Amino acid sequence: MRPASFEYHKAVDIEDAVRLLAEFGEEGRPIAGGQSLVPMMNLRLARPGHLVDINALPMTDIEFDDRTMRIGALVRHEEYGRDPRIGKHFPALLDAVHWIGHPTIRRHGSIGGSLSHADPTAELPAAAILYDASMVVRSLGGERRIAAVDFFESAYVTTLEPGELLVAVEFPIPPRSSAGSFMEIGERVGDFAIASVGAHLEFEQATITRAALVCCGADLVAIRAPEIEAFLVGKTLDAPQAVEVGRRFAAMVDPSGDHIASADYKRALIGELTRRAVEAACARAIESK
Amino acid sequence: MTRAENPRHIGARVLRFEDVRLLSGAARYLDDITRPNMLHMSMVRAQVAHATILGIDSSALADAGFPTQVFTADDLGSLSIKAHQDYPQMQYSEQPILASGKMRFVGEPVAAVLADDPYKAEDASELVFVDYDPLPVVGTMDQARDASLPTLFDGWKSNVIVEREMKGGDLDKARAEAAHIIRRTYSTQRQAGVPMEGRGVVAEYNPADRVLTVWSSTQFPHIVRTCLSEVLNWPESRLRVIAPDVGGGFGVKGQVYPEEILVPWLAVKTGRPVKWVEDRREHLMASIHARDHRHVLEAYVSAEGRLLGLKADVTVDNGAYSTYPFTSAGEPGMVGKVLPGPYDFQAYHAVYRAVATNKCSIGTYRGVARPSAVFSQERLMDDIAEELGLDPIEFRLKNIIREFPYKNVLGFSYDKGSYAESLEKMRELLAADRTEAEASKVSTTRRVGVGIACFIEQTAHGTPDFIRRRVPIETGYIAARVEMEPDGQAIVDLGMQNHGQGLETTMAQVAADALGIDPKDVFVRHGDTLMTPYSVGTWGSRGAALGGGAVHTAATQLADKLRAIAAHLLQAKAEDIVLGGGKASLKADAGRFVEIRKLARIALRNADQMPEGMTPGLEASFSQDGPADGTYSNAVHAAVVEIDVPTGKMKLRRFVVVEDCGVVLNPMIADGQVRGGVVQGIGSAMLEHFVYDAECQPLTTSFADYLMPQAPEIPNIEVHHIVTPTSLTPLGAKGMGEGGAIGPAAAIANAVADALDVQVTSTPLNGNAVWRLSAALRGE
Repeated sequence: MRPASFEYHKAVDIEDAVRLLAEFGEEGRPIAGGQSLVPMMNLRLARPGHLVDINALPMTDIEFDDRTMRIGALVRHEEYGRDPRIGKHFPALLDAVHWIGHPTIRRHGSIGGSLSHADPTAELPAAAILYDASMVVRSLGGERRIAAVDFFESAYVTTLEPGELLVAVEFPIPPRSSAGSFMEIGERVGDFAIASVGAHLEFEQATITRAALVCCGADLVAIRAPEIEAFLVGKTLDAPQAVEVGRRFAAMVDPSGDHIASADYKRALIGELTRRAVEAACARAIESK
Repeated sequence: MTRAENPRHIGARVLRFEDVRLLSGAARYLDDITRPNMLHMSMVRAQVAHATILGIDSSALADAGFPTQVFTADDLGSLSIKAHQDYPQMQYSEQPILASGKMRFVGEPVAAVLADDPYKAEDASELVFVDYDPLPVVGTMDQARDASLPTLFDGWKSNVIVEREMKGGDLDKARAEAAHIIRRTYSTQRQAGVPMEGRGVVAEYNPADRVLTVWSSTQFPHIVRTCLSEVLNWPESRLRVIAPDVGGGFGVKGQVYPEEILVPWLAVKTGRPVKWVEDRREHLMASIHARDHRHVLEAYVSAEGRLLGLKADVTVDNGAYSTYPFTSAGEPGMVGKVLPGPYDFQAYHAVYRAVATNKCSIGTYRGVARPSAVFSQERLMDDIAEELGLDPIEFRLKNIIREFPYKNVLGFSYDKGSYAESLEKMRELLAADRTEAEASKVSTTRRVGVGIACFIEQTAHGTPDFIRRRVPIETGYIAARVEMEPDGQAIVDLGMQNHGQGLETTMAQVAADALGIDPKDVFVRHGDTLMTPYSVGTWGSRGAALGGGAVHTAATQLADKLRAIAAHLLQAKAEDIVLGGGKASLKADAGRFVEIRKLARIALRNADQMPEGMTPGLEASFSQDGPADGTYSNAVHAAVVEIDVPTGKMKLRRFVVVEDCGVVLNPMIADGQVRGGVVQGIGSAMLEHFVYDAECQPLTTSFADYLMPQAPEIPNIEVHHIVTPTSLTPLGAKGMGEGGAIGPAAAIANAVADALDVQVTSTPLNGNAVWRLSAALRGE
């Protein structure tokens, strides 16, 4: 359990990092907290020839304007997880952060690292998809934005090209009348989830005007449920028909079983977690009014 | 046998002396050992479960860019570990040091690669290619009895390694008289052992004195030495085995492994020190596994609810090899031996077998078969109570053994315990939880359940027990040598190895009581065959009972000499002298005393002041064997669970232990042992599962997939002691190291059965399993 041979490079700024990554192409990997990459290197499941240490890069700010929250890729889970503005605008994201690993992992792991790693049951990709976040990506060719739903291609695979570095993630700030919830089931506290569900609701008075639902555990990436989201629109916060919503999400997904959880168990969990997440979001909405 | 005369330190909550070293980072584990000019070994391991080896190609190593050496079975000749029990019903096999001819499980060592750096060694091991011809895989207990599949070893008649029986009483009569016959099949899942520190070996040969020194992260350095001597044909006098600080063993490090033979062989062969440190992946797939059992039980019960007889058919999926020194027969044999448990009945017949499959070999892991046996025994007791409409605790009390000593149905003699008292105490402790559980029965979404496991544990069994079993360990004694230095401080050289048991503290407490000095003035040394007397090591719950007995007896012999010298100086009789507080004083007049340090100085340096005819020196040794049938600890474990029916998510709300291990040497350490064991038992019950696919490829080779219990899963574990001293060991102590791990699977399974009103027949009770068991409550 020792990594294969690699070269280490410490990038001094973003330009330096993308230059190094461009030079190394498929062989280069940025490293921040190393919470996912280092274990995979030790198991020799990942064998980057070059590690580009990006910890010195200026990607550590959380910025808000009227429409957007921008979190630098190096912001650690522990840090943004205790920013009160996140709880106010993105309650499902705040819930999700608390499900990430253990305190040590949250201290070292970064938001950009988790998103780039793209574990199929990780919380942050699901939260990014739930809130229609955009990935801000830099390369020698300049900057581009990739919508979260287009960013995650498969398990551990993103649409980042060789030479590209995720520098920030932007979350559009929802309207004031919104609420959300994220919950998951795993065998142990801190494990990657067997299944997880996030719900985001926007409302006027007591009526849902827009909904977003996301689940992990059903596929190689977190998935949204547009038809079921549409079903929620027009329902009232005190009677969102959450059981039916859960039933529909469970019927929609097609998970595969593994040695810890069978397909039918995962499907049942997605149904039940959907019900609970929708009910919790509604309860928070009612409470906030 | 005599108990400690004036216990001041035995029974006290003395803080562990070794913790200063362990908690400050000053401990030295195997991986901390470095020798000059040392080579590092990396193993090439089998990647398929069953295959004929056609060739091993290491030609790519020439391009590695650094010097390497590679060794295969061809270099080793016929070196192998032989773990055979002389039973006519047992088929013979040997475990090669490196796979020879065939590979029999994924992870089996096939070749060893040496380089001067561990990273390079690991890189180099990827350049060795094994060419093979796959063989059909024997992957399950049922496949092991399928005659159409190949046998794992040439010349075998089948893949049943051993099949034997144990019986007592008249089972036909019991069946004929039974009003109820309850038949059930129970199973427990395959697990790994997983101490915090994995295994590792360093070896160095010194041609000057022809001593081969072997550092190994082991629980029994003397047994490693003996096995090495036999396999390598090397004199034991010139073998030194050192177990440095060992980060947990749990029985896993209580077998001799191929690497422990291979590394010393390589050190001699290359003339350079050689080091190998196991990584977690190797540990999970290729150390030893445990708990892979299936038990078919049939109980015969009278109309009044009395157990009349028990029939058992026990199968253990042993994996590929018989492990040294407890063999393939050890695990199933233990089930046959312990199934009668704490209950009074007169007819029993067990057939037990171990079958060979293409998996990692089964070895000893804390509890050794008893967690599985008690799971079946205690699930059965609940299932019978349910069938008869009896309260499970009442049903147990109706059948519990109350008269001691008790000769059980197999002829084993149980010394005095507190079986009924423990059950009654637990019934009191659980009253409120049982009421709450009953009240939760109206809910279809949230259920509370209470389950108990009542069991006994044969501990500290002595040589006769091993002779009966004809097992290579052969004996079960522990030796200690106690000496006092001229400054009055004492050294205990202990034949046991301390790897978490607190022996450096408890044995100091025992010696201090006998010698009349403070425990901090006793230095307990262990783990090095050069300075410790031959012993079987630390396993089988014998530390307090036999190690404590050996230290007590040796120290008492030394104390007798101190008293004789003091009597001479004080012009008194030796029997009128008491030792304590660093002084030898007159019983009748504490004001008249001699300091013990002065007595020590006289015995070692001023022999002219000794009584006439007494020889100088202050040293005594004693080897403490165990009682023939051991001494029986007893315990009741209880679990209170809360189940979220829609998700199967189970919360362990409460775990309670009432246990009786006789005299407790240090309550803080005893509680720690119980709690640590319970945590491992919770892992057995709910999480830990080593999974193979149909081709016997392991699926759980890292901590991402092999789930150990972690702090958030563990409730506060309440420990209550009842003390019934045994007359069979010098201090009245019974063994207690394993008990914590034995009860949880049964208690938790019984709690789930109680909560959901279902039959639970297997573990692990993870989320998916509990969800499936609660299907009826969801109307599915």
